[in-house]
Amino acid sequence: MALSGIFWVVIVWMIAWGAIGSVLIRRRYLAHDLDTSNAVFAGATVGAALGPIGLVPLWLTTPVLDRRFTVLPSILAVALMAVAFAVSHPNNICVTSGSFVASQITNGVIIGIIYGFMALGLTLIFSILGVVSFAHGEFYMIGGMLVYYITSVWLPGLNPLFAIFAACAIVFAVGAIFERIFLTPMYEGKIDRPVEYGILITFGLAFTLQYFVQATAGANPVKAARYFDFPRIHLPSAHDHWLIKTSRGSMELFNTISISNPRFTAAIACILVLIGLIFFMQRTWTGKALRAVSQDREAAAIAGINPDRMNMLAFAMGAMIAALAGALLVQAFSWLPQVGNIPAMRSYVIVVLGGLGSLPGAFLGGILVGLVEAAGTGCIPDAQKAASYIPAYGMIVLTLTLLLRPTGLFGRRFAGGAHGKM
Amino acid sequence: MRRHVPNILGLILLVILTAFPFVYTGNDYPYVMHMLITAFFYAILASSWSMLAGYAGQFSFGHIGFMGVGAYTAALFSHYIWLSPQPTGLCTEYQIGGHWLVFVNAIGVTSTTLAQDCLHTAMAKWGESVQVTPMPVWLGILLGTLMGGLFGFLVGVLVLRLRAAYLALFTLGFAEILKATISAEIEFTRGQAGMEMPALFDHGITLFGHHFTRNDKLPPYFVMFGLLLVCLLILAWLAHSKFGLYVRALREDQDAAAALGVNTTRYKVLVFVITTMMAAAAGATQGYYVGIVTPNSLFLLQMSLVVAMAVIGGVENFVAAAIGAVLIEFALEMLRNSFTIGGFVIDMTVWRLVFFGLLLMLTLRFARNGLIAPIIAYFARGHVARETVAKRAAPGSPEVVE
Amino acid sequence: MIHLSVRNLQKRFGGNHVLKGVSFEVNGPELIGLIGPNGAGKTTLTNVLDGAITPNSGTVYLNGERIDQLQPFEVARAGLGRTFQVTRSFRRMSVLENLYVPALAMGRPGNRHEMQEKAMGVLEFLTMDHLRNEYAQALSGGQQKLLELGRLLMLDPDVVILDEPFAGVHPRLMEIIYAYIRRVNEEGKAIIIISHQMDSIFSLSQRLLVLNFGDLIADGPPDDVKRDPAVIEAYLGTDEDEDAVPRAEGA
Repeated sequence: MALSGIFWVVIVWMIAWGAIGSVLIRRRYLAHDLDTSNAVFAGATVGAALGPIGLVPLWLTTPVLDRRFTVLPSILAVALMAVAFAVSHPNNICVTSGSFVASQITNGVIIGIIYGFMALGLTLIFSILGVVSFAHGEFYMIGGMLVYYITSVWLPGLNPLFAIFAACAIVFAVGAIFERIFLTPMYEGKIDRPVEYGILITFGLAFTLQYFVQATAGANPVKAARYFDFPRIHLPSAHDHWLIKTSRGSMELFNTISISNPRFTAAIACILVLIGLIFFMQRTWTGKALRAVSQDREAAAIAGINPDRMNMLAFAMGAMIAALAGALLVQAFSWLPQVGNIPAMRSYVIVVLGGLGSLPGAFLGGILVGLVEAAGTGCIPDAQKAASYIPAYGMIVLTLTLLLRPTGLFGRRFAGGAHGKM
Repeated sequence: MRRHVPNILGLILLVILTAFPFVYTGNDYPYVMHMLITAFFYAILASSWSMLAGYAGQFSFGHIGFMGVGAYTAALFSHYIWLSPQPTGLCTEYQIGGHWLVFVNAIGVTSTTLAQDCLHTAMAKWGESVQVTPMPVWLGILLGTLMGGLFGFLVGVLVLRLRAAYLALFTLGFAEILKATISAEIEFTRGQAGMEMPALFDHGITLFGHHFTRNDKLPPYFVMFGLLLVCLLILAWLAHSKFGLYVRALREDQDAAAALGVNTTRYKVLVFVITTMMAAAAGATQGYYVGIVTPNSLFLLQMSLVVAMAVIGGVENFVAAAIGAVLIEFALEMLRNSFTIGGFVIDMTVWRLVFFGLLLMLTLRFARNGLIAPIIAYFARGHVARETVAKRAAPGSPEVVE
Repeated sequence: MIHLSVRNLQKRFGGNHVLKGVSFEVNGPELIGLIGPNGAGKTTLTNVLDGAITPNSGTVYLNGERIDQLQPFEVARAGLGRTFQVTRSFRRMSVLENLYVPALAMGRPGNRHEMQEKAMGVLEFLTMDHLRNEYAQALSGGQQKLLELGRLLMLDPDVVILDEPFAGVHPRLMEIIYAYIRRVNEEGKAIIIISHQMDSIFSLSQRLLVLNFGDLIADGPPDDVKRDPAVIEAYLGTDEDEDAVPRAEGA
């Protein structure tokens, strides 16, 4: 058998034992009156990582399934896959070049931060309104488009910061208006099936927005100029810059890890805005009101908070967050009206992975998905094939999450929001 | 009497559509026929989706993916499997009776000439002396349909425990994966270049003494129309049987239905399988008709159009959805031309989509049951409201409790 | 004869031990009231019996068939039916269609004509026959409750569990529900009624089960249970007066 076949054999082995483990361990814990909430996930990861060698002692001793039994086996399973890959594809760049791997991991984390940030907007909308916004990708696209047009076509030479600010403000307004007209009836009890309505109406919005932009702006790819040039830094000295070396468009760490400017600045900006958001949610009255509504709508209403206004704020903010992500990335990627489709799909995966309604979960999920995509695209030699499969990685993560741990990493068992019917 | 109005209108429509190809003599005959065939294609997709989403309450956004499964199964089948009277000696082949079933190898789009796969190499050697035949089209359609049903079964089982938004996300992702795989595996599927498919009637067909060539629109028209009618009949039969009752019950309240003895698992999966088979059949048929299938046809655009058609027609009434599909397809075609207003060129090819997006949103918001379904319901259920009101007004009738 | 045997049911939700070994038996057409403070586990017990939840341990046998591991629809077919605390009718189906669903699912009566007749009979008994083609969502709350009861009649199970049938019901409707309960009992079915309406429970039940935070603390005729000190302390209140309004403790 060809060497590369070994990888697939290992994968099949892991899937098989993972499946067996999930079923057996759950049954065992159920039969012994033990807590089964983690049993499926633990059984699957232990089975995948250690096969029968791990499952037998687990089955016999039935210990309490705390984090040790979910996090450690997951890491082991990933390591096993990596080893199998290395053994079966010895010539693959991921195996031969340590600097490549380091670069990929770093870039995966960086882009993951941005993904997580965008997913944050989605989870914010969900936790307050109970709606999964299928238009999230379109707001992302519009954010980028607005910044491009403001800085390159309408007011060329304008400081990109103003353009970003303007784009955010515009999308905030659009989101608020949409919420008022189309989403408000959902929680006024006027709609029979609010969950399906929310899905369809945001789906319709996505369709409309995407083609509106295509109709007005055309289908040609655009890209904004880089916002911010790196200052020249050579550490520790100008001649021997093994620590950091920057050019205007990129930086290189330790002579091995190469990071592009646009993504780096985008990630930093996301982190800054995130800190601002956390401050907003924890320290300001409005932020606390938002959190109250996300936890218990009726209780918040009794306490004097107007849930409808919070809904509008949440949707507008969520849309704005997506727009901001787009505004930051339009300098990095080629922008088309369809550019929002894949990030939208990615956001859904991240939100499910992190747990619907959990803000830290969205962020962590974003980083994980960023890493998975970096591994998937980096290690497949055929670039075109790798790019085509990007949505598939997300789907695999989604499927695994739904099968093994539907509430996500940090999810609440019963989703809050306006309907709780999830 | 009023109750029968929709049925009578439907019958009239049926007669018109059946007679149309024989009667219409305009210059744009091929264009109009093509538009109608495409309209029927969308009608099949919209009505089967409305059964799945509106009737059964399973809002699956992967319906186009199943259409693609049907189309690509048929394409792969017709492309890679041939019948030859003589063995090629180059391809994997199996002897059946006096013929050989030839499996062509996959060479993708990288070859500069198409003659490099094993079959064409052998054919070049033989010259004209040996005639190979491709697999029959109806078999391709059948296989495509079955494959669609298989995938539908798989997805149906996977989404059993998923509630609304998760189901939508998962099915959306499923369609995305399908598209990604097809785009990526260029060797087999030729990626974005797409796969060519033989015509529905490659050698033409002779009916009632008249010979139709492979390019004639009339035979494909009736094939697609016939498929639409078969689908609508199946859906109608299901809806009026206990299947329809169970499926609506599980849409309304799955747990209550289960507590009353309905095997919700079985019916949920069944409804998936049946509707995905319809979508796959439509996909395979359309693929043969158009002659080529590409992964771009699995775009979000198609799914959104199907959703829009079903919603605007009336998402819980599959006949309304089918009618909505035909009307919207007509409207889309008629709005195709650009026009100028005061110096601004408005390119309608894209604006019409924006218009339909807005129409979708407004219909959802203000006319929840669609635009066509209420008309049908007015006639069909109208008698119910009258009966109740009449009874209440009659003297001596029991007081309404509360 | 109907025989329902519940043995040592245990159910935990994470750290919350909701059912701590509940056991009881039902023989024949008994009329049983199931009472207890809020959060005592009454609805959980119903969900376990009905198959919506699997118990951590313990068994349930109905007429010799083990039902605790079955799916809800299988439990329904085995002969146990229930109503829900919050009425769950099929809102956008007509009243008649609501009644047809369980009949078709059970396959009885097999003939469509007989099924229609039976459904009309049920509707007449519930004084709702004039509403037969109305969508369920057009019905008032009380009528929807009656509809749920009607669906159970069509299901025709051996054991019927009614979860809060009297909640929010006005006196006129109460009469119909009482008549319903008596009729079902006369037809030979066992009924378990969960309720906080003490006067109704005490007047209807032949036997009371008292659940207190997962433990079955009393099982017997109403008069005995009323005087049981454990029950009084947990649920009924310490007032000696027999007409006292019961206080639900630990709500």
